[in-house]
Amino acid sequence: MGEIVLEVVNQRTAFATGRGMLTAVNGVSLALERGKTLGLVGESGSGKSVLARSIMGLLPRAAVTGPGSQVLLNGRDLTRLSEKELRPIRGAEMSVVFQDPMTSLNPTLTIGKQIVETLRFHKRLSKQAARERAIQLLRSVGLPQPEARVDQYPHQLSGGMRQRAAIAIAISCDPDLLIADEPTTALDVTVQAEILDLLQRMVREHNMAMILITHDMGVVAGRCDDVAVMYAGRIVEQAPVREIFHQTRMPYTAALLASIPRITAPAHRKLDAIGGRPPDLIDPPRGCAFAPRCRMVSDRCNRVRPEPVIEKGHLYACHTPLGVEEPA
Amino acid sequence: MADLTSSGAAAAAPGTTDAHEAALKAYSRKKRFSPFLYVPVAWLVFVIVVAALAPWLGLWPADEIDWVALRVPPGANEAHPLGTDHLGRDLLSRIIYGARVSLTVGFAAPAIGVGFGMVLGMAAGYWRGWIDEAVGIAIDSWLAIPGLVILLLFALVFGGSLFMVCFSLGLLFIPTAARITRAATMKYANREFVMAARALGASDTRILVKEILPNVIWPLIAFILIDIPIAIVIEGALSFLGLSVKAPTPSWGGIIAEGREYLETAPWISLIPTAVMFTTVLSFNLVGDAIRRRMADVKESQV
Repeated sequence: MGEIVLEVVNQRTAFATGRGMLTAVNGVSLALERGKTLGLVGESGSGKSVLARSIMGLLPRAAVTGPGSQVLLNGRDLTRLSEKELRPIRGAEMSVVFQDPMTSLNPTLTIGKQIVETLRFHKRLSKQAARERAIQLLRSVGLPQPEARVDQYPHQLSGGMRQRAAIAIAISCDPDLLIADEPTTALDVTVQAEILDLLQRMVREHNMAMILITHDMGVVAGRCDDVAVMYAGRIVEQAPVREIFHQTRMPYTAALLASIPRITAPAHRKLDAIGGRPPDLIDPPRGCAFAPRCRMVSDRCNRVRPEPVIEKGHLYACHTPLGVEEPA
Repeated sequence: MADLTSSGAAAAAPGTTDAHEAALKAYSRKKRFSPFLYVPVAWLVFVIVVAALAPWLGLWPADEIDWVALRVPPGANEAHPLGTDHLGRDLLSRIIYGARVSLTVGFAAPAIGVGFGMVLGMAAGYWRGWIDEAVGIAIDSWLAIPGLVILLLFALVFGGSLFMVCFSLGLLFIPTAARITRAATMKYANREFVMAARALGASDTRILVKEILPNVIWPLIAFILIDIPIAIVIEGALSFLGLSVKAPTPSWGGIIAEGREYLETAPWISLIPTAVMFTTVLSFNLVGDAIRRRMADVKESQV
């Protein structure tokens, strides 16, 4: 068992809305070791981005965090820290790569300046040293001609290069934890794999822990150590990546896997989309949140919410798990 | 297929690359400023330079009376190229010194208004909550007082100093500047790069100065460009009413007002400063429009 970088304990995040409290993250716990990558998978609105923002402490003002929630980064509870105390931690101990590098980079600053400022704030480097480090970082993320690129503005780079620059900024201060929030969703398909490979290489080279957030099971395969599937604010299945793919327990995970279009499938075949819509998080169903859309639904699913069970390191919350003879 | 034919045609006719380049050139020429713009730009440069250098131009002192040359028409007396007013004061000199007042007010008042408005608007748009409400109420109350009342009040209480004229006029520009800034700030405060900056440990001050200010500055510059001629016109109206700088100090509106009684006998006293003021304000408007159009182009091409 390696060194634990991040531990989230019973994280609850709710938003005050006009209709009532919307519980976006509802009692999520997870732990992440150094050097490991956790894939966090779910549909839009499943709470994965809110979970990431809860970890970073970047929630909007309307958000309320549950009283028992803890986010332990290197053993320190971030939820107890003030905004001022969090500042030296953000960017230095934990960092984020956002979805769209067009909007996550400041259009009025050169790429170099954006790295240099982060380095100077956290590492107190001299201007010259920071600039040299910036060029070095840009080279390490595979940006061609880093000496020239360092003085360019985001709009002068292509989408893939922009995301490389954003990754260089995120890892500039050697964080222990990197959260990649759908880092390839806004990119061309052709550069998606390159960016994912780059992230993987950075995790290895910098010995970080990474949370890779995505709605695409295909992104997770082969690039994560563990996968956590979120639905309606809860982790409904979590296991090592091979387990998830080969010993799928949750019908929801199975549906997500089935929704990946396969190159081997016959042409013009209807895509296996998941019918129905995610539940209303202000007034969630009493039983299993996925029950209304589930193929395996039983009477019990609609009445009682399934508690998560852990079987040989494989967590799932389901009354009618797949591949298990006797339902738990 | 359309691609194939067009590239085939280009390969067949050697002249088409030139045509293509010509089209590109024409396009970039269209993006450049119109040549007609040189006239207002030249006029503004001329007015600004002359006003700035006024004390060193060897002019007839602006408030000195030439007893032997009352109401001399333009061109009649070599010492007074634009003639003299009813008191025998040199018109050219008075108009040039008047330009100093008009231009100072024209630049300072919008700058004061935008300076205060920007701070208020950025605070309101970034922090929202009670700050936003407080700024909103303050602006709405400020707008509920007619601008003329504010100007009259300042003129009565503080009377005639150039600084107070700039300041009171500047106050009138605050609400709009604050609103423009607030809207722009709100637009950018929720952008991902602001959150990214926070994720990298940036403080509120740093975010406001480095992330938001460079983005909200453009609409404010456009706003200043509109306000310069407005401020000049309002100052002109104020001095026409005798509410701007005090009497012996020349100002365009003041000279126009003084010449009013002699419109039949000595029309040039009023007409020349009117023409100068008209040309200057029109020039500011034309140049301002062109710059704003250009800025919109740049903004579009970036985003």
